Amino acid sequence: MGPVPNKTDKNLTYVSLKGVGHKYDPHPNSPMVVQDIDLDIHRHEFVAVVGPSGCGKSTLLRMVAGLLVPSHGSVSVFNLPVTEPRDDVGIVFQKANLLPWLTVRKNVLFPLKHKYGRYSSADEVRANELLEMAGLMQFADKMPDELSGGMQQRVGIVRALLLNPDILLMDEPFSALDALTREQIGFDLLDIWREHPKTVLFITHSISEAVLLSDRILVMSKRPGTVMDLIEVDLARPRTSKTINSPRFAELTDIIRGYIYEPNVPV
Amino acid sequence: MNQTYPFKFWCKQQVNRFAPGLFFIGLVLLWECICVFGKVPNYILPAPSSIITAFLNVEFSRWMTHLWATLRVALMGFFLSIIIAIPLSIGMMRSELMNRVLYPALIVIQSTPVVAVAPLIIVLLGTDDPSRVLITCLITFFPLVVSTTTGMLETPPEMIELSKSLRAPRYRETWQIRIPYAIPHIFSGLRVSITLAIIGAVVAEFVAAEEGLGYFIQFSTSFFKIPQAFAGLIFLSIISLLLFKSVQWVQMWLFPWSLPKKK
Amino acid sequence: MKTKLKFTLFASLITSTSVMAADKVTFQLDWLPGGDKAPVYVGIQQGFFEALDLDVSIASGRGSTDALTKMATGQSDIGSSDIGALMAARAQDDVPVVAVLPYFTQAPHAFFVLKSSGIKSIKDLKGKKIATSPFTSSNAFLPLVLKENGFSEEDIQLVKSDPGALAPMMITGNADAIIAWVTNTALFKNQASSVGKEVIEMPWSDSGLSLYSSSLLASEKFLTERPDVAKRFVKAYAKAIQFTYEFPDKAGADLHKMVPEVDAGIVSAQIKSITNLVFNDVTEKDGFGYFTPERIQKTWKYVAEANGLEDDALEPMMIVNNDFIPE
Ligand SMILES: Nc1ncnc2c1ncn2[C@@H]1O[C@H](COP(=O)(O)OP(=O)(O)OP(=O)(O)O)[C@@H](O)[C@H]1O
Ligand SMILES: [Mg+2]
Repeated sequence: MGPVPNKTDKNLTYVSLKGVGHKYDPHPNSPMVVQDIDLDIHRHEFVAVVGPSGCGKSTLLRMVAGLLVPSHGSVSVFNLPVTEPRDDVGIVFQKANLLPWLTVRKNVLFPLKHKYGRYSSADEVRANELLEMAGLMQFADKMPDELSGGMQQRVGIVRALLLNPDILLMDEPFSALDALTREQIGFDLLDIWREHPKTVLFITHSISEAVLLSDRILVMSKRPGTVMDLIEVDLARPRTSKTINSPRFAELTDIIRGYIYEPNVPV
Repeated sequence: MNQTYPFKFWCKQQVNRFAPGLFFIGLVLLWECICVFGKVPNYILPAPSSIITAFLNVEFSRWMTHLWATLRVALMGFFLSIIIAIPLSIGMMRSELMNRVLYPALIVIQSTPVVAVAPLIIVLLGTDDPSRVLITCLITFFPLVVSTTTGMLETPPEMIELSKSLRAPRYRETWQIRIPYAIPHIFSGLRVSITLAIIGAVVAEFVAAEEGLGYFIQFSTSFFKIPQAFAGLIFLSIISLLLFKSVQWVQMWLFPWSLPKKK
Repeated sequence: MKTKLKFTLFASLITSTSVMAADKVTFQLDWLPGGDKAPVYVGIQQGFFEALDLDVSIASGRGSTDALTKMATGQSDIGSSDIGALMAARAQDDVPVVAVLPYFTQAPHAFFVLKSSGIKSIKDLKGKKIATSPFTSSNAFLPLVLKENGFSEEDIQLVKSDPGALAPMMITGNADAIIAWVTNTALFKNQASSVGKEVIEMPWSDSGLSLYSSSLLASEKFLTERPDVAKRFVKAYAKAIQFTYEFPDKAGADLHKMVPEVDAGIVSAQIKSITNLVFNDVTEKDGFGYFTPERIQKTWKYVAEANGLEDDALEPMMIVNNDFIPE
């Protein structure tokens, strides 16, 4: 592939959702969980999803991941309909979900061990590189419960990067962390993203986090979750703590807040 | 003045260290006093001293013979139930059909008093170890099935989704995720089972045996040698306690991560 | 020197083959080892079985029904159990077990009282509190004994409790009398004397309950498939019974040798106290080791009445096989 500039390439659609809707209960009268979602995510784009609790954000993510087949519409990745999980899609969950009986390094290598039953020394070298990049090298041989919550979450991200996925799906990865750690790890994620450009679908409850990190924000309505708006975040990159103080940042967060707290405002 | 605080602290430490032992010794002394001064006859409640005498009056090699007979059956039954229970739980966890067919059957087996079916087992398997091991196994395996199944079902759903997203073979989901997550539960099951195994072996000896601690107790009672029966009983409880502790040691040694975090 | 060595080799070869060829017999007890179970241990220790080329192993039992079941299913070949239990079982089921030799020719059931209670005969028990264990065969015979003495179960207060608690209940005054087998007499006396009290036994056989009880029973399979072995066994066993009651102290020592937890002294005391169950006016009249049709008939009558069975439910002589009586 060669080195790629970390810039959204609008000509290449990596993830495409067309008229996607879903209900868990197949009964004809049962309510939809999400409805009429149309979204294209382009190469190396960072898209955040915000919306009230229970509006179907996780449901959306699981459909992109191939863990759930949508009952309506179609999801495709690289122009192919998604029928099962793909190797080029990595997932980071809300809780780090490290395996408590494995060291940090072995947790990072777990996807290989789990998928193929083994890993090579080259894989270990790669795991070390990723840990080094995330500043976790000195904890490589520690057990997960010896790490702070923020460090555990970084291990979770490193683990998702091990298989070098093109697309990274993150479901409220930082929600279990305190505010300070959360902001810091957001910047860390941006650093990692710059070094390893990925197409990212990022679900969050935090409006400022969405604005700080993403290129576009999908705002969802209450259940059944529909698209209320798709907001272009025109803040310059690289983003730093200064970005937060810029007037445009406040403007954008206000717009989104408006959607969440006054859902009757017409789009 | 300077000395007081560390000295007080030291005293407190020593009390904490020895309190359980002192309490136990005090209890035994109280028991002895009640028996001696209350003139309680041996056949109602034997005094600790007469229990100890009774213990020493039985040859050590006889104790070992009886101990080995009980321990052998208890451990064989225990390991047999591990060998049966864990694969069974895996099967029930993976197959809804198996779960629906087997679970009621297991509950029926569990709620059947083993003593009632023991004669049948003896007729089928004879009066030697196999019958007693089966009786022990019947008593011990249910808590293991329950705890293993519970443990595997309590695996965080995210971990299962991770496994699915990797499209890993299902046996690895079981071995690398579900079983390790079930380890704390399995060990609580094992702790219950090991004490039940001793009870199982003793029950089996009540039904048919020529040696063993249960047989010894029954035998002593048939001769109204109550202090000797108590000696057997106490010996038996010490063995149970040691086995219980051993299960904890094994967990500490093999799966230190699975122990509850100390505050 | 060389011939001598050859000879020893030859001799040891013979003995070892003869040991290997010894017929294996599994003997069933109806309870745990004790004084009344001594004969089979005596037979082994005194070499009576070995002399007739028998290799006997002993299995303890947990009650007469348990012993019968184990013989019927072939877990053991021959053993001692209550002939009444066999009659009751045969009247209801086709249990392939028969009686081959009487052991107790009198009923072992008895009342026990403290001497200090002032109770002198069974008649004195009217209106008293009597303790018994829940599963003993004595309970079935109790109404018959009371009837013989002119009253019924309604005239007494019967309580049931664990066998181990009976003697303490009597000694502590929680019960006026207890029901147990006379095989326990020595043990009860022991317990009572430790607190300075004296126990009196009142055997039911003295008040009309005259029947066979513990007997040598064998599985029919054993008798038909290995009649020669059975014959030899019964012969050696009869000899062991004689020896046991002639030399109770030696018998006690023999049992202790095989079951070290048992005190030889208690065993010989037990044996002495039950001698008249084995050798008595019945054996005087009929001879030892022979079931007479009259007494079998009489035993069955009692068993049938005690168990609520019809008189014609069993032809009692069917359960007896007198072919194995030693000459
Ligand atoms: N496996 C399932 N079976 C049935 N219903 C489900 C399932 N998973 C989720 N739901 C329902 O679907 C709705 C949307 O759930 P989802 O988890 O997608 O919401 P969410 O937006 O991620 O919420 P949160 O912000 O709290 O994580 C909820 O009402 C939930 O109860
Ligand atoms: Mg969610």
